[in-house]
Amino acid sequence: MTTTTFGLKYVTNVGFAADFGGRGFSLPSSMAIRADGVIFVVSRGKSSTKNSNGIQMVTKDHDFLGQIGTYGAGLGGMMWPTSVVLDSDENLYLADEYFNKVTKYDREGNPITEWGTKGSGDGQFNQPSGLLIQDRLMYVVDSRNNRIQMYSLDGNFVGQWGSGGDGEGEFNLPWGISDDSEGNIYVADWRNDRIQKFDSNGNYISAIGGGKTSVLDRPSDVAVDPDGNIYVTDWGSQCLLVLDQPGNILETKRGEADLSPWSVEYLSSQDDERKARESFVPVYKADTEDPSEVSARMEPYFWDPVAVELDQDGTVYVLETGRHRFQIFERI
Amino acid sequence: MAHLLRRAGFGATPYEMDRALSMGYQAVLDDLLNPDHPDVIPDDLIRRYHVDQSDLRSGGGAHWVYRLVMTDTPLREKICLFWHRVFATGTTKLIQNRVVTNQIDMFREHGMGRFDDLLVELSRDPAMIMWLDNQDNHGSNINENYGREILELFSMGVGNYSEDDIKETARAFTGWRVVNPDYMSIRMRNNTARPYGYMSWQFEYDDDDHDDGEKIILGQKGKWNGEDAVRIICEQDATARFVSRHLYHFFVADELPVPQWPHEDPKDPEAIDVLCRSYFENDHDIGAMLRTLFESDFFKDGGSRYARIKSPSEMVIGTMRLAGPIDLPSEETYMADAACANMGQALMRPPSVEGWQGGTEWINTGAYVERVNFAGRILNDPDKQGVRDIIDRIKALSGQSTITSDELVDNCLEVLGPLEVLDTTRHGLKNYASKFGDMKWSDESLSSEFDRAAVAIIQLVVSSQEYQTI
Repeated sequence: MTTTTFGLKYVTNVGFAADFGGRGFSLPSSMAIRADGVIFVVSRGKSSTKNSNGIQMVTKDHDFLGQIGTYGAGLGGMMWPTSVVLDSDENLYLADEYFNKVTKYDREGNPITEWGTKGSGDGQFNQPSGLLIQDRLMYVVDSRNNRIQMYSLDGNFVGQWGSGGDGEGEFNLPWGISDDSEGNIYVADWRNDRIQKFDSNGNYISAIGGGKTSVLDRPSDVAVDPDGNIYVTDWGSQCLLVLDQPGNILETKRGEADLSPWSVEYLSSQDDERKARESFVPVYKADTEDPSEVSARMEPYFWDPVAVELDQDGTVYVLETGRHRFQIFERI
Repeated sequence: MAHLLRRAGFGATPYEMDRALSMGYQAVLDDLLNPDHPDVIPDDLIRRYHVDQSDLRSGGGAHWVYRLVMTDTPLREKICLFWHRVFATGTTKLIQNRVVTNQIDMFREHGMGRFDDLLVELSRDPAMIMWLDNQDNHGSNINENYGREILELFSMGVGNYSEDDIKETARAFTGWRVVNPDYMSIRMRNNTARPYGYMSWQFEYDDDDHDDGEKIILGQKGKWNGEDAVRIICEQDATARFVSRHLYHFFVADELPVPQWPHEDPKDPEAIDVLCRSYFENDHDIGAMLRTLFESDFFKDGGSRYARIKSPSEMVIGTMRLAGPIDLPSEETYMADAACANMGQALMRPPSVEGWQGGTEWINTGAYVERVNFAGRILNDPDKQGVRDIIDRIKALSGQSTITSDELVDNCLEVLGPLEVLDTTRHGLKNYASKFGDMKWSDESLSSEFDRAAVAIIQLVVSSQEYQTI
């Protein structure tokens, strides 16, 4: 199932720091791609500029289509959104770890329903993060309860698995979740530095990473292509890693963003910044080995990569919280 | 012991006091000065669950508050507050919090080491470079700002150098800048995070932009670079006295505001002499000076107890630590950061390059009301781990299952410090507590009633004027 040669090339990026709303993102936390190419990006925003919360709709061709939802406690509102996912009817679901709820929006972006309260019982959450829908069933990564919960798409509790720990099927603050073409489920077991693979009933199959010599460092999200290649946003090392099923690294990307059209347009109206940027050296030798601090200095690099998605053509999208954009890669 | 833990830390919870008493003064001091364990702040958790603290565009104060509350190396954090006050650098100009947070990290690493090393690191610190415009200090055209402030505010104080020394020192620091200085300067000036968020800064030395000519700094002639300037500065008696007076002001007793130092003798000249000798005898080592200070009679004497008004950060952090640990940064840490600001000490946003003067500057009617409200709010829940511990110890001190209202007050003062208060304060507290009468906790209802009474007294105690001093 795995390929023997693998490579990715950078194509472009979509994004712009939209601290106060409008075209762009603000501390985005998750993304989902609809079949027609509309990309939904969730902006978590920051507490002091509440209108930067929302689900922005864009395309990979840099079209900005508007926004769904906004800051607030009511139906459709959000405060600390963590994940967005689409079902086969193209309804949209959003997890929020402040309100400990999942909100369902219809295809037009109207909020329909929501469920969840804070707690550890059935149907309760303690900071939900990743969402996955498979065969009309929703899987919710209930991060601080160290478990995966399953729901119907109307919010009825179906089941759960997992508990705290570092053994097989146990979790330490899991984050992202995805599946492969065979229906197996992959969970980014964040603080155990591993990806765990389960069948769709939650039975443990295998793991990549884990332990003190783990190949992974705080993985935040995972995606799997039809060949079984595993894409991981390795949040701790600030890289995108691609691994085969046994866990061999096929590709490592640190990020290589250039100026997006939105950014070029912005700079065209800022003479002083554009001129100063002519001598700007975007990547240089850092005097620290802290990946997060290096990312904070080097504009092209991933800074807090939190989501990786694949579209139906196999194009790879890596969303970065710190740089308010996603970078797009294609197979070579 | 309580005095040491208040000054070298943020006061002690009852548990911490028990532990300290079992260790003894010297062992506690050794541990404070040379903690044998790393701090255990879970930065990954903070960055994941408090995303805006990951890029630190804002929220730097709240980020630091969390660390201050949770640290088990309190003197290391206290020394960061100390240097932040002396080397005051603000996000008001720099716009982003991350670079100031990085500067605080640098204080954490070098703040108790050699003063020479600290000053070199400070001179290389990107936040300081941009704060005092050293990116505009060129070999062909100097900017005196950093040269002036390193002498006036950071090492020697007014009256101990000449205008020529300022210019020559500035020349020594030409070429000390950040990477991409032009673009970073304009982004800062324009206050923009566009197009892709703020960029943290890195120090860069540009030899081509450095004035390699001969200079005379404080009477010493040579082709000095920045490190040489720091060495010369650190050799001066005035530097030893300036650092000593700052340490005394922060750790022993409130001094006059810094601008008056050139004209007024220190409050305790002999103490300053002792600290100066320690400076030179220990190769300018700040940690050694702190050891001298905390082992000295002038520190241990009763006269220095409660001789300082708590800074807002000391008051806020000490109270939060009393209330118990917090799982992760929360709205409480943001509120605490805001409370510090409302009391007059906005962390990472000092009012000017001169920082905060401290002393009576901290107290006015509005600030006092803010203090009282904050402390009362933080200690209002008997189910908070720290408050529960305080209540349980108040009970335990009674030695039985009943307590009088007078005992409630006495025990509360004992557990919360022990806190020494004026007779009038104690009398006022007892007068208020008398309405509770004798209390028991033999059943759930009585226990709950006692909890409410205890919380009321705790809140009153932290509202007292004595609690505002340290």
